[in-house]
Amino acid sequence: MISKIKSLKLAALAFATVIAGGAVADTIKIAGWGAKSGPLRSFGVNSEAIIKAAIDRVNENGGVKLADGSMAKMSYDYYDSACNAEQGIAIARKVASETNALIGIGPTCSGVAAASFGVFQKKVGDSSDTGLQMPLLTDTAVRNGLAKISQWTFRNTPNEPDMYDKLFAWIAKTNPEIKTIYGGTETNQGHSAGTYSKVIVQAAVRHGFEWVNGPIDEVSGKIGSGFKNVLSSSSNWLMEDTNFSVQARAFKKSGADLFIVSSHPFTTCGFLKELSRMKGMPKMMVGLTSSSSAEVMKGCPKQAEGMIIPTSFAPITAAAKEVAALAAANGGSADLHSAAAWENVMIIKDVIEAVGITGDPSKVKEERAKMRDGLEALETTEGLIGKVTRVQDEGEALKPFVFVHAKNGNWEVLHDPRK
Amino acid sequence: MSVGFIDILQSLIDGILFGSIYALIGLGFTLIFGAMEKLNMAYAASSIGGAYVGLGLATLFSLPLFLVFLIGPVAAGLISILVYLVSFRLIPSTNHLGSLMASIGALFFIDEVIIHETQGSPLTFPELGIFAEAYFMFGDLGFRGDLIFIMIFGLISMGVIIYLLYYTRLGLATRAVSQQNVAARLCGIPIHTINISTFVLAGILGGFAGCMAAASVGVISPLLTIPITIKGLIAAVIGGLGSIRGAIIAGLMIGGVENFFLLVRGVNERDIYVFLLLFVFLVLRPNGLFGNEINRD
Repeated sequence: MISKIKSLKLAALAFATVIAGGAVADTIKIAGWGAKSGPLRSFGVNSEAIIKAAIDRVNENGGVKLADGSMAKMSYDYYDSACNAEQGIAIARKVASETNALIGIGPTCSGVAAASFGVFQKKVGDSSDTGLQMPLLTDTAVRNGLAKISQWTFRNTPNEPDMYDKLFAWIAKTNPEIKTIYGGTETNQGHSAGTYSKVIVQAAVRHGFEWVNGPIDEVSGKIGSGFKNVLSSSSNWLMEDTNFSVQARAFKKSGADLFIVSSHPFTTCGFLKELSRMKGMPKMMVGLTSSSSAEVMKGCPKQAEGMIIPTSFAPITAAAKEVAALAAANGGSADLHSAAAWENVMIIKDVIEAVGITGDPSKVKEERAKMRDGLEALETTEGLIGKVTRVQDEGEALKPFVFVHAKNGNWEVLHDPRK
Repeated sequence: MSVGFIDILQSLIDGILFGSIYALIGLGFTLIFGAMEKLNMAYAASSIGGAYVGLGLATLFSLPLFLVFLIGPVAAGLISILVYLVSFRLIPSTNHLGSLMASIGALFFIDEVIIHETQGSPLTFPELGIFAEAYFMFGDLGFRGDLIFIMIFGLISMGVIIYLLYYTRLGLATRAVSQQNVAARLCGIPIHTINISTFVLAGILGGFAGCMAAASVGVISPLLTIPITIKGLIAAVIGGLGSIRGAIIAGLMIGGVENFFLLVRGVNERDIYVFLLLFVFLVLRPNGLFGNEINRD
């Protein structure tokens, strides 16, 4: 009886030692956040579904190897930032200061990313800067150049300037009959309008395509040049609009060879239906990366037929096909945004194993710094459709991508620029 | 891009046709205001909610999609009853602000329920069959078949409601409740039943408008709720709260004004002019186009 009590005391002491620190953890926590409410809720739902699938996969394979060689399971909490900057900032602060999460994944919206990256410490080791010191690896927010806001923020998002540059180079080469362009965007959606005016139109101009009404002032083809003039020269709408008659008529009247439609699925379909009704379809259409989704194929497959979009995700490899199936099984869908969440979990696992993490809650600050250094040191990572090159000094990624087009109700690969 | 006379005319035609949806929603606002002298801010949300329920049930039970246009209005009528019970029936009739705030709460509640049930994703909505693709050309001017259908429906609705209000016992009772609540009660008119009837009637109308709004773009999204609420409310105010023909005419007018300024000033300024129109009416003609006289200090 006495020996039993002794054993129990020893066990309790060992447990207390582990709890008190100096021991390894059996669970490594990560935090995710994205829009799980509001009109862009599907983005957060898709990301969470894929984070869950990826963590399940890691745990099924034994977990993640810690510094002492033991294995720990991974777990996650997912928070709703609702595409709201204040909410995103509050979550970043909460996760960094009140949880033991080693690293974050998120957010969904570029506006939230732009605001919340600003509360992280800008330069590592700057003692005068009391900003958050937790690494963050973004899966979705795609607006150009956000990661450089802080040395703690990294992104595994596609590089749209590169994608559209290659796309228009390819179009110019393979479709010499396409000369003129015209377009429009959702002006109250940061990604749609920003990418349209600063990236897509510029890429087209750079490769010799002409704006249908003559050159736009200050637009040289350089990223961001004269972007306000691009917007004022275009026929635009708002994200919540349902009537596109004026815009569709302007597109039709322009008579351009190529239309650029830079919007998310809801208005993309509404606009294309109006254009189709007016029999105003052009020779070629280019869309926004975010529109290469299942929603467009459900909403307006006939009208979107032929639309070309560059995307960093397509089920063209066994791994990508598997992730697409797992996403569906978890109540989400895999697209260029959410599929990055899978890659992020795998990157995090690899970095944990490479830098030697103990998971000891008392060392969370130190280990977050180790994770940051580990992420910064990465030169390449394994992506679902190919190797991803890290732009180390900017915290950004150069992801492989393909050009897809809408064909018979599906997004099919039209061209792989790597070939 | 240069704007010609035909462009202006076409934008006005398109806008007026699309304004039919604002007119139908404005009609609902005005009906409820006419009966109770209270604004039901959750009206457009109930309408969109009904369209969602219609779509959900049709999908769940694999029903023919045209039934969405029947189930949706009925569901909107039922949602309207709920809104009446929680935002009006349970709140003292003299507490106008309380009902207004409760209905704003109901608006956001319905919107959030929709967002959570659909994950906020736009859903494909059945189009109006042969009307959806129909596009009629008269010279250089084009007319959308589905919007013509909606406009005709709006005008028929107006006729039916005027008939119900002025030529039936229900209408007589509704007008009595509207004009002198206490006297109507003393005459034995069941005012809550009359109010519920008004909500159901407005709800059915709104449900149809919600289905039409979604059908006109082929998708339904929670993003529709707030703009339709605002434009419908403006239609009701400009038309004159309580005026049926006013709501219809103002709804069509708002559609035209909105599209005209979209053409000439662009999307970012479009709504400024619609709100300016509202402001002008509130200052210069506070009783709207056809509303009852509102005394000013």
